Parts: sequence; structure tokens; C-alpha cells
Amino acid sequence: MNSVVCIKRVPETAEATLKIDPANRKLEVDNLVFGINEADNYALEQALLLEEEFGGEVIVVSVGPPETDEIIRMALAKGAGRAIRISPENLSELDPYSIAKLIAHELEDEEYDLIFTGCQASDDGFSQVGVALAELLGIQHLSMAVKMETEEESATVNRELEGGLMAQYKLNFPAVITIQTGLNEPRYASILGIKRAGSKEIRVVEPGSWNEKMVELNKLSFPPPGKMAEIFQGSPAETAEKVCEVLKTKGLL
Amino acid sequence: MSAGDLEKHDVLSCIQCGRCTAGCPVSIRTTFNIRGTINLNLRERKKWIQPQDIWSCTTCHTCASRCPKGVGIVDYIMGLRSYQVERGKIDPAARDALESILKHGNPWGRVREKRSDWIGENKVRILQEGESTEVLLFVGCTPAYDPKAQKSAQALSRILAIAGVDFAIMGNSETCCGNEVKRMGELGLFEMLVEDNTNLFSKYKFNKLVTISPHCYNTFKNEYPNLGDKVIHYTQFLVELSEKGKLKLSNDNEAKAIFHDPCFLGKQNLIYEEPRTLLKAVLKEELLEFDRNRERSQCCEGGGGRMWIEVDSDKPRTAEERVRDAHYYGAEILATSCPFCLLTLSDAVKTAGLEDKLQVKDICSIISPGEGEKDGQT
Ligand code: SF4
Ligand code: SF4
Repeated sequence: MNSVVCIKRVPETAEATLKIDPANRKLEVDNLVFGINEADNYALEQALLLEEEFGGEVIVVSVGPPETDEIIRMALAKGAGRAIRISPENLSELDPYSIAKLIAHELEDEEYDLIFTGCQASDDGFSQVGVALAELLGIQHLSMAVKMETEEESATVNRELEGGLMAQYKLNFPAVITIQTGLNEPRYASILGIKRAGSKEIRVVEPGSWNEKMVELNKLSFPPPGKMAEIFQGSPAETAEKVCEVLKTKGLL
Repeated sequence: MSAGDLEKHDVLSCIQCGRCTAGCPVSIRTTFNIRGTINLNLRERKKWIQPQDIWSCTTCHTCASRCPKGVGIVDYIMGLRSYQVERGKIDPAARDALESILKHGNPWGRVREKRSDWIGENKVRILQEGESTEVLLFVGCTPAYDPKAQKSAQALSRILAIAGVDFAIMGNSETCCGNEVKRMGELGLFEMLVEDNTNLFSKYKFNKLVTISPHCYNTFKNEYPNLGDKVIHYTQFLVELSEKGKLKLSNDNEAKAIFHDPCFLGKQNLIYEEPRTLLKAVLKEELLEFDRNRERSQCCEGGGGRMWIEVDSDKPRTAEERVRDAHYYGAEILATSCPFCLLTLSDAVKTAGLEDKLQVKDICSIISPGEGEKDGQT
């Protein structure tokens, strides 16, 4: 079983101090640490588990700058066979459609049963590349998979819906599945493994300037401070009492 | 594990006496049996037997220090773990800690830009490249980020300032020492940290490297190239200062205190007396001792990656046994000198329901209590 996994290098923003560049179009990244997008890490693990069970090859694809090789090498260390990095000149201007188009173009000559992506990128939150990619390739897709049972030519996939509902689908290959976090337990890429993976192929594609986009980012800004949070004052016992009160009135206790 | 590895760690000389398992703190509460693991590997030499429960080991060194044949038991366990690390299938908590060290330079998943936030109002000099200081204080990841352990860093910097010591820290450039990384079997990452830190140290001039954590002390002292003589644990340094008359300690603390020897300070580096000297100098009453003290000290289960890795067991943590013992001996303060012990024992005080009776404190916080700590609050 051959799988393609699309991964993205994203900044870790949870605790970091974020700054927007003067042109209001992107984050200043100098002080940020980058890693593989969390959901993509689960997508990669799913592909590796299938390769362990059914054999075949895992191909990693990423659209990003040369620094993306850091996360690509980790994926290769974990067991992916080879990788394709697509680095257009105007990277920061791409939208999900143009990214999907770039990937679809590179996959034309590849043979695959499944294409995995994470269900959402933690930086721009579009959730669209996987779905757009399926449309462009003319194959089926399922998004937000939380469980997956795979056979030789098909898979049964669960999607979690609002209110705790679970929907189960069966789909035949080839297909695109976008993976939700928590579907498996991603493995660790050891430093020695990453060094050894240096000998695996990363094919670099440089399509120059890529102008296929459908939407354009106008502006990036911080939301104005809201009044959504109430900070309780007082001793731990007093504040705990207030929290209990709120939870009770909301029917949570 | 191959036959070669067994030879490397002298495992072939094991006589299966079982002293290792008998002293092992986790053999009483998990399925892990180190003698049994060795036995399996000796019998099935061609197969790699790597039972999952080797992750219970705290790398406390009790086994190795009692083994009559000098088997390198802890190195052997690190070797077994390294095979699992290479295959990538390790405990998710260990994975996250290791990934965080690679990305952020600390195992706690915290950003580098907040590494020196603990300084707060304290006056601590941050060394710039090329500058020199008599004492380089290596804060360590846990005292840098954990709110409880930060108090040790704050207390120690107050003490050094009062004693007029020329000291400084590396600020946000400081990076994990790698002691736990090595013990979790991630030998590649450990080598990388040794290289990075050795480079970093070469950018500053200092005569002494003082650590708060015995874990940082251990690896800098015994495993880094060309650092050995400069490395000193803070308890040793404070005794030096007090002997030279630079640090005045007065025995006006009226609490009854007992001392818990951290494994990486005691068993592994034979520093038993300095912490006691300091405590005796500040306590009015006689220092209490556990029955299991010094080289027989019971491990708190904080080492070897166990700060992150939980094990299956229906028995209480050894730290809980330790705090119950401390209470039994009549102690009001359980003193230690390791940030991991501080955290595991503090948690155990809560699970044992002893919050009103027993406080866990780092020795430097006993010498120099912070705001609100003097009247018994922590
Ligand atoms: S104490 Fe040493 S000789 Fe005895 S069983 Fe353990 S490893 Fe073997
Ligand atoms: S190092 Fe400590 S925890 Fe590990 S096997 Fe030896 S005695 Fe047990």
C-alpha cells in the first residue's frame, strides 16, 4: 500500500510572543520555533502504520521553504521512504487552492492508494488543502477522520460530528483522508535516526512564482481585547467557591 | 540487546544474586525486575529482549552500587532504552519531553524566551558573550520554569548576592544539560546537547559552574569534556562560602527537619555531608535522619525520565512512602537539595494528606526564605 502524506512546517505559537510584520501580512518569525503541524504528525503516523501492516511506500510531500527539510528529515527518520519539497518563490502569498494545485501537479506521476493530510494547519487554520487536492485529482475524500480500519483496497473511517455523534463511512482507494489529532500515537524521531535519514531522497521542486490562488489575505491583526473573561479576586478558597458557583449555575456540577 | 552490548556493560559477569532487584525502589510497585531482565537477556543472547517495563527504572543507581560483580546495570538499561528510542516507539510523555528539549531547550514544553522569567524582582546578572564571572550559575530547566522550583533559583541568587559572590547566569541562552536525555536512552540528542553546551560555555569566562540540580551536576561533572573541576553543587559551594566566613548562617530556625538525600547527589556523587552541614548550621534543633539515609536513601522516582513517565501500579509512589516516613520521624520540614525531589515529594505530601503537617523545602529556601515563606507557607 502506497501512501502520500502532506506535511507542513508551522510555528509554535501557544506561549510565544507574537509580532505582526509592519505590512500586516505575516507573522514575524525570528523568535519562533517551528515544527511539524500537529495533525500532520498523526497523518504521517497513520501512513507509517499502514506501511508496517501492508508494505509499500510512504512518500512525504511538503510545500515550504528549504528549512522545511528539518521536518521532512524527521518524517524520513520515522520511516517514510522519500520526500518531495515544493518551494515556489512567493510562498507567503499562497492560498489553500494554490498549494493543493502544486501538490496535485507533483502527484501526477506517482502511484498511491491513499493520500493523508492533517485535518487543519495550526497556523492558517484553513482545513482545505486535503479536500481541494481530492477534487483536483478527481478522487474521493473524507475529512476529520478520528478512527480508521484499513483493508487492502478500502477503509472504514469514522468522523466525529457535533454533539458527540459518530459517522462511519466506507471508501475505496484511491482517496484523500484528512486526519484528526488523537487517531494514533505518533512515534519519536531520534537524532541518530534523523542523521541516518540524511541519505534518503528529498526531491526539490522550484516552480518559480506561482499565481493560481483564489483568495488573498488582506490583513493580519490581533483581535481587540474582549470582555469575555472574568478574573476572580480573593483567596484560593474564595475564588474556588466562586468558580463552583458559576459551574453550578451553568449546570456543569 | 546483542552479546556485544552485554559484554560492554559487564552483564556477562552477573551471578544472578538478586541484590539489584532487592534494593530497586520500583520493583516493589511495578512488574519491573532488573535481575529478571538481565536473566532473560543472558539466556536469549541472540534475541533483543527489551521489555517495556524498563521505563520504570529511575536510574537511581541503587542496584549498581550494591551489585557485588560491578555490573554496569544503569548503563545497560540506558542501552536497552536506546534501542526503543531508535525505533521511535516510546512513552508519549517521554517523546514530548525529548521533542521539547530539541525545540525549546527544556523538557517542559515551555518557550525559550521565558527561561529567565523566574528572576522577577531579584537582581541577577545575565552574562553576555565574552564577559566573565567568578561563578556561572546553571539554573537548570526545572528551577527556571516550575513555579515551586523557581523559589530555589530565587533563594540561591539571594544567598549569593548577600555573600557578595560575583555570579551570573546565561539567561535565555541556557539549554538543557541532557542528564535525563541520556538516561532516557536518547544518546544522539545527548551528544548534540553536550556539543551545543560546550560551545555555549566557551563563549563565557568563569571559574566555577554552580548547579542547583544534582542531575545537571552529575552530567556536567562526569560526562562533559573539560568541565569536571569547575563543576560544583550549590550545597558544596555554600559550605565553602560559610567556611571562608563569607556566608553567615545562624541557627535560628526552630522547625524540626529531616533530610532526604537525592540519588544523583548522594549515591551517584557521594555528596552526603555538605547538605547536612548547611542544615545543621541553620536549625536550632538536631537534624532528624531517615533510617534509610545516605547511600541507602530511598529514591523519590523523579530520575531517569520518570518526571514525565508514569508507570502502572496500584501501590503508592515511593515518594509517598518517604513523606509518611518523614512525618513518622516527627519532621515538620522535609529538606532536600534537588528540584525533582522537591516536586515529587511535594506532590506526595498532597496525596498522603499531610499538607498541614509537613512542608518540602529545598535547603537554599530554608537558608533564605522568600516573601510569605517565613511563617510556614510555601
Ligand atoms: S546484583 Fe549484580 S550480580 Fe547480582 S543479580 Fe544484580 S546484576 Fe547480577
Ligand atoms: S537504577 Fe534504581 S530504579 Fe533502576 S533498576 Fe537500578 S535500582 Fe531499580
